[in-house]
Amino acid sequence: MSELFVVGISWRTAPVAVREKLAFREEELEDTLRAITRELPVAEALLVSTCNRVEVYGVARPDQDATAAVRAFLAGRRGLALASVAEHIYDHRGDGAIRHVFRVASALDSLVVGEAQILGQLKDAYAVAGAAGTSGPTLGRCLERAFGAAKRVRTETAIARGAANVSTVAVQLAHHVFGDLRGKSVLVVGAGKMSRLAARHLYTSGADRIVVTNRSLAKAEALADEIEGVARPWEDLEALLAASDVVISSTGAREAILTRPLFKKVMKARKRKPMVVVDIAVPRDADPEIGELDGVYLYDIDALERIVSTNLSEREKAAEHATKIVEHEVGQFEQWLRTQGVVPTIRALRDKLTAIGDAEIGKARDALARKDMTAAQQVELLQRTVQLVINKVLHTPTTALRAADPDAAAHMAAVVCELFDVTPVEGEGRDSASALAAGEVPPIIPMHPAPEEKSAP
Amino acid sequence: MTPYERILTVPPSPAFWVAVIAYAAATAALLFALGGKVKVRPAALGLVGLAFIAHGVDIAWRGTLHVHPAQSVREALGLLAWILTGGYLLASTRFRLTLGGVVVMPVSLVLLLLARLTPAGGSPPGPEGAGDRWQPDIDFSALGRVHISLATIGVGVFALASALSAIYLAEDRALRRKKLDGLALGRQGGAPLEALDRMSHRLIWVGFPIFTLALVLGAVWTSRLGESLDRIEYPLALVTWLAFAALLVMRQIYGWRGRLAAKLTLAGFAAAIAVLLIYLMRRM
Repeated sequence: MSELFVVGISWRTAPVAVREKLAFREEELEDTLRAITRELPVAEALLVSTCNRVEVYGVARPDQDATAAVRAFLAGRRGLALASVAEHIYDHRGDGAIRHVFRVASALDSLVVGEAQILGQLKDAYAVAGAAGTSGPTLGRCLERAFGAAKRVRTETAIARGAANVSTVAVQLAHHVFGDLRGKSVLVVGAGKMSRLAARHLYTSGADRIVVTNRSLAKAEALADEIEGVARPWEDLEALLAASDVVISSTGAREAILTRPLFKKVMKARKRKPMVVVDIAVPRDADPEIGELDGVYLYDIDALERIVSTNLSEREKAAEHATKIVEHEVGQFEQWLRTQGVVPTIRALRDKLTAIGDAEIGKARDALARKDMTAAQQVELLQRTVQLVINKVLHTPTTALRAADPDAAAHMAAVVCELFDVTPVEGEGRDSASALAAGEVPPIIPMHPAPEEKSAP
Repeated sequence: MTPYERILTVPPSPAFWVAVIAYAAATAALLFALGGKVKVRPAALGLVGLAFIAHGVDIAWRGTLHVHPAQSVREALGLLAWILTGGYLLASTRFRLTLGGVVVMPVSLVLLLLARLTPAGGSPPGPEGAGDRWQPDIDFSALGRVHISLATIGVGVFALASALSAIYLAEDRALRRKKLDGLALGRQGGAPLEALDRMSHRLIWVGFPIFTLALVLGAVWTSRLGESLDRIEYPLALVTWLAFAALLVMRQIYGWRGRLAAKLTLAGFAAAIAVLLIYLMRRM
């Protein structure tokens, strides 16, 4: 029987130095997937390669273990000796693999629990597998159920609520004050790395204009180029502040540069329009007193990190509820998967019975065509046809029951009773199994009386 | 039966009871939504809509019985609550104002109950020497009706501006305390501060001329009735007018906005409510 498997590395098992060696570029994915299904005992495959994980999700060919081959393939494909990365690679099979896929989709296995990107990345990977022709019914169904589980987790739990990093908090804060950021201006004071991230995040969230100012104009220009902003000289600070709605400050100054007297003038100049000040410098750039001014919303690094920390701990709490949802969805999928094992049997049984029915109906039709029949004769023909179908259907199982040894016959009889929902007639001290084994099979399809008999007085 | 007696005997319509139940249910549902049951919010807004419709039907039904919605201060309270609910519904189409609903719905409910279920009282004594010429403050002249109508609409608009200012102050406080997930800002996110400030200001611009005209007509009406001007509600009405006039002028000249403007809006509205309550108490 085919088995789902997962082989890969993630932030849990490998540092970035290893992950980047095994990572695949987007344009390599389709060829790699085709190679996996062509060269390895893998029937269906999907490859997800992000900054935090490189994983192959697949379905092995019937009765074959594909994980060892996929491990070797991943290392070989990147030109690495398997031994050099073996300790970082993990694999899961069967239920473990299904659970892993569902947890990844629901961002329960992410570095930042509840982050939104992984679901989109998995959907992209699924689309690539579809384009490469390596996604099949089992993997497809698994991914779709995993996406459904992820949606439930996001809507029914608090796992994705609250900003999970400092720059997201800054954006959230700006949204609370201004709503739409279109038409808003962002001033970056200083050229620190954190302010670059926050400014970029604000820009992608809709802010119109980013201005950078720094004591060194050259550094301001370099940062402005990087984040599509405009550099302005340090001497213009007061005017720049008055024209800005969001200020991100991260200079290396030893003393506060955003002081209360400066901000009183600034707020007067901007007619007390609200202003968000995000101070991510240590030591702080902003005098805490400016946060008391009407219209000024000041958040320093401590406040930002406290919010992030609270949100992350809330997410961790929500993860418990999310895990229950995932387990339920995994159970549902496993049940579906189990039924897939008997589908060929059901199909074969249906085909055989249809063939028997078709053959007998054909004979009955020929008989009807050969001579005129009275209504009573037609009913008799119908009864005979049905009886013949029943006999043919039951011939093989009845023969098998009779031929089986008593223990096996009893088991088979019990299965027959369960499958056909029949209760054997107990008689003369014999149990049902032996009665069945002896061929005394009660009619499974009850014979209805002929219409004439029914209407007879 | 005189018009005065008729007003006292017109009972609340069945729609009134529907409105009362819908207001109470909407308040409960909005509280649930505020507590994190986000899925309840559409149902809560549906209940607000139902309350608004039922309330409107009740006002119209009273109209068919010749009770003008601005016939008296008591009657006008019902109209005021209806304007408040309608304004809230309108604002909710643009912003998530769950917290505002938790404040506005009980206020509308209480105003409606005051308007319909408080004892109407008897005819208050007239000024000394007025004799039979004196009419109670239920005045059926066109001037009286226009005055009360305009004052009700003006105060209704100020009430909406005040509700937005109250939300502004709650959100401002939450932001200053760094409570981004608190009740004021909420998991669903409240309305942005800048938008609340702007909408409140625009509403005051709308309400101010209406209220000003109501004051002028009220002064004319009072002088026609020959009443003295030493009743407490007159200076209070003037305080309301001055508060909103100051808001408009100072914002234009000095850019007053934010917390200060919100507090002044609430102060002006408190004076307006005091005027209404004094009228109401006098009638009981």
